[in-house]
Amino acid sequence: MAKQTFTTGQVLTAAQVTSLQQTAMLGGSASAKVASYTLVAADAGTTVSMSNASATTITVNTGLFAAGDTVTILNTGVGTCTITAGTATVSKPTNATLALVTSAGGVLYFTATGAATFLPFDVGSAAATSNANYTLINAGGTALTGAATVTVSGLSGNQKLLIYVKQASSASASSNFGLRLNADSGTMYDGIGLYTTSASSIGVEANGAAPSSYMFTLGTQGTNVANSIYAYALIDGANATGLKSIISHSNANGTAYSAYAHQGTYAGTSVISSISIFSETGNLDAGTVYVYGSGA
Amino acid sequence: MYKEKIVNAITGEETYRNYTAAEVAEVEAAIVEAAERTTEAQAKATVRASALAKLAALGLSADEIAAL
Repeated sequence: MAKQTFTTGQVLTAAQVTSLQQTAMLGGSASAKVASYTLVAADAGTTVSMSNASATTITVNTGLFAAGDTVTILNTGVGTCTITAGTATVSKPTNATLALVTSAGGVLYFTATGAATFLPFDVGSAAATSNANYTLINAGGTALTGAATVTVSGLSGNQKLLIYVKQASSASASSNFGLRLNADSGTMYDGIGLYTTSASSIGVEANGAAPSSYMFTLGTQGTNVANSIYAYALIDGANATGLKSIISHSNANGTAYSAYAHQGTYAGTSVISSISIFSETGNLDAGTVYVYGSGA
Repeated sequence: MYKEKIVNAITGEETYRNYTAAEVAEVEAAIVEAAERTTEAQAKATVRASALAKLAALGLSADEIAAL
């Protein structure tokens, strides 16, 4: 029930009392929106939910709310819903975001008619744009199965990305595993590396003069398909337009030697929004990739 | 048919697309290269084993061979 001024002797209906009870129990009626919306005074004490496949905004203006008013915001759509300061100011906790991904939400608490603080329900789900800690972005990891390439998208907004590949394998013996950024298969990856695929040899890779079409070799199973790959890659500058710095290490377990250590750059100028793990010669059939993001 | 699986890290939405003809050609070329690598590695291992056997036949101990 929207906020209102009650008068002496006013008789509340059962529906109004039920609504008040809901609000008192931190629920309350939801005003469903499907397009960008500017809050109005009647939204005080209610929930405004947004559902849109594309990005939307909820704008907050001054002169509509009183100190102590609250408006709950919930994004149920696939598109990010951003709480935008119109003529009012909107503050938030340092490591929170006003850009709400699917199922994210929080409470706008007005400290004055022209000032609100957004209190997110789950700070941990916020984008890491100003958070120095690494946060797992793809909850539970992404299975490296059912395809030759597995791409994890939706990674924008992170200055650093830490990619951990756990026990990746392919049904194809001696398949190489690689990493690409933004699905870019152009010759954009430079660097140097050391590798060994046997107990008696060490190789050097230097592709500065002839960049590779993928981020070096994450590893190879050798000739034993029972082997699997453990690898990590650290990308810095992922949310900027310049060169991205990349360091990666990988090892194969099992009976075949395989160890790779690389460092270099990716020359793409777009921010990193996706990473892809691929098997060169056949489908990935096991393993998980975890992607962690950091804003600092 | 080779595929790419695309998973949105935020929503969990999962979609697939088939490899393009150019990507399939890359995989097929990589398969040939991988077979060549395997053959080369096996041949090298065979030559090494043969060389070690000949050194042993000359009377060198395992430690002496390892020290070479």
